[in-house]
Amino acid sequence: MVDDVFDEVGLKVENLHASYGAVEVLRGLDFEVPAKNVSVILGANGAGKTTTLRAICNMCNTSGTVTLGDRDISRTGTAEIVRQGMVHVPQGRGTFPELSTMDNLMVGAYTRKDNEIKDDVDRWFEIFPVLGERSSQMAGSLSGGEQQMLAVARALMARPRLLLLDEPSLGLAPLIIEDLFDRFITLNKETGLTMLIVEQNANLALDMADYAYVIESGEIALHGTSDQLKNDPAVQEAYLGA
Amino acid sequence: MDLVLLLQRIFDALFNSAIYSSLALALVIIFRSTGLLNFAQGEMATFTAYIAFVLLSGPQPRLTGGGLAGLVPGVPFPIPLAIIGAVVCGMVGGAVTERALIRPLERAPDLALVNITIGVLLATNSLMGQWWGTGPRVFPAVFPSGAGQNFTILGARLRYSTIGVWAVLLAVLVLLILLLRQTRTGLAFRAVSISHANAELVGVRVGTTLMYGWALASGFGALAACLSANSVLLEPNMMLRVLVYAFAAATLGGLDSPKGALIGGLIIGLSQTLIPAYVPFIGFELSVLPALLAMVAILLVRPAGLYGTKRIERV
Ligand SMILES: Nc1ncnc2c1ncn2[C@@H]1O[C@H](COP(=O)(O)OP(=O)(O)OP(=O)(O)O)[C@@H](O)[C@H]1O
Ligand SMILES: [Mg+2]
Repeated sequence: MVDDVFDEVGLKVENLHASYGAVEVLRGLDFEVPAKNVSVILGANGAGKTTTLRAICNMCNTSGTVTLGDRDISRTGTAEIVRQGMVHVPQGRGTFPELSTMDNLMVGAYTRKDNEIKDDVDRWFEIFPVLGERSSQMAGSLSGGEQQMLAVARALMARPRLLLLDEPSLGLAPLIIEDLFDRFITLNKETGLTMLIVEQNANLALDMADYAYVIESGEIALHGTSDQLKNDPAVQEAYLGA
Repeated sequence: MDLVLLLQRIFDALFNSAIYSSLALALVIIFRSTGLLNFAQGEMATFTAYIAFVLLSGPQPRLTGGGLAGLVPGVPFPIPLAIIGAVVCGMVGGAVTERALIRPLERAPDLALVNITIGVLLATNSLMGQWWGTGPRVFPAVFPSGAGQNFTILGARLRYSTIGVWAVLLAVLVLLILLLRQTRTGLAFRAVSISHANAELVGVRVGTTLMYGWALASGFGALAACLSANSVLLEPNMMLRVLVYAFAAATLGGLDSPKGALIGGLIIGLSQTLIPAYVPFIGFELSVLPALLAMVAILLVRPAGLYGTKRIERV
């Protein structure tokens, strides 16, 4: 694998509020995603995890400060944020059903101007051979799991410095999930890609992550290293099924 | 049945078909990217035909804009240059319309935006009436179209001008398809057509892409208007009828397919000429009826139109 493609960049979120219409969903979040680390956000359904990722990318009504590396991106448009190296795989995948698998990967590399795009496509076809076999098939006709792989590969085609993943395990078979998370760990170890992952599967997430945040009703209820949270009785009871 | 006459009627219908297809192409480009039907497409096109007319006439005090034309070095222009001028003005006009009237209202419901385009239709129409008068003007022929300027094929006359408009239309369509399929901008355009939110997430600047789409569409509209202005005479309502047929063509082609716009234009043009000729109780005055019937018939069989994208749903 190419190992110098991802620079180190961290994310800092201060007093982040977000609302849909009159309903305030995030009520002043503060957290950090240290560079080259994997951080994870846990929380019950409706706690505001998806909204947090959307707010970071300026996809909804927000206030507060979001800093990417040394740049304030609180007022930066979504497309511009992607150009600065933060790429988001949204809940529901964000692939283009009426484009072929290949075109989905190519459009993932839209912001790049270098001449290694083709090499990267080959690399992802090597990692996910099933995508290579279906390169000219419309993305919408791939299976749910295949589409999830495509969503991740599409995001990485942009060579992000920071990757936001919203429930990447959703709808995948347990074996595939393990495989996918192994890939994430490898990517993080080999390239230092910074990641912020929203995940329902708390066991898996805490095993992989360096830091963890628990969101309850739009606020950070708990945070710490994943080892600290794994041993926290409240977390064990609410999220680890202990 | 007189086969020579049938062939002659087909040849005659082909000219209009090409015009319907070009304007349908313009409608399709905007519909694909924004989900909007631009009712002002025809009037915006007519406006640019007037610009071509001004560029062709040169400085004339009695022609509004004639004085302005004096500022353009080299007027009066030869026809090709005047048309290029009109197309460029059309593209700028399309981009400005998107920027100034559509984008600020991007959160408004689609139907409201369609009403805005109807407003643009009326405003442009009145403006043309005020500046250039409502009387028809003779726009020069783009391709040789006098008596005898035709090929004779199996006894029927195929006019040079018909071949000319089709050559232009096909060339433009091929360029458009290459642009969509082979270029980075084309890929971005296709992504925007599918989902604005997801396009933003891969770093595509959606607003800018839509602006290019409007520019492109209005360029096609300008071309359609300039190519047809000779045969229908230049006047503010010149494209009104054409727009109705172009809507029909785009609809039966599937609204989001360039190829569909082309085939749709052909079907509408041919049925408009052939059905009144062979079905006695439909006179030429009622020639809009066949177009309507063709549209209903095709949509009954294929609800998404001939080449329309059926949203992919896994079964
Ligand atoms: N587009 C929207 N409009 C209005 N309310 C919304 C919208 N999206 C989310 N909400 C509300 O915001 C709250 C948080 O939603 P969010 O999607 O962030 O939760 P989540 O933690 O990601 O949940 P899940 O685990 O089910 O994905 C919910 O109460 C939801 O009803
Ligand atoms: Mg969610």
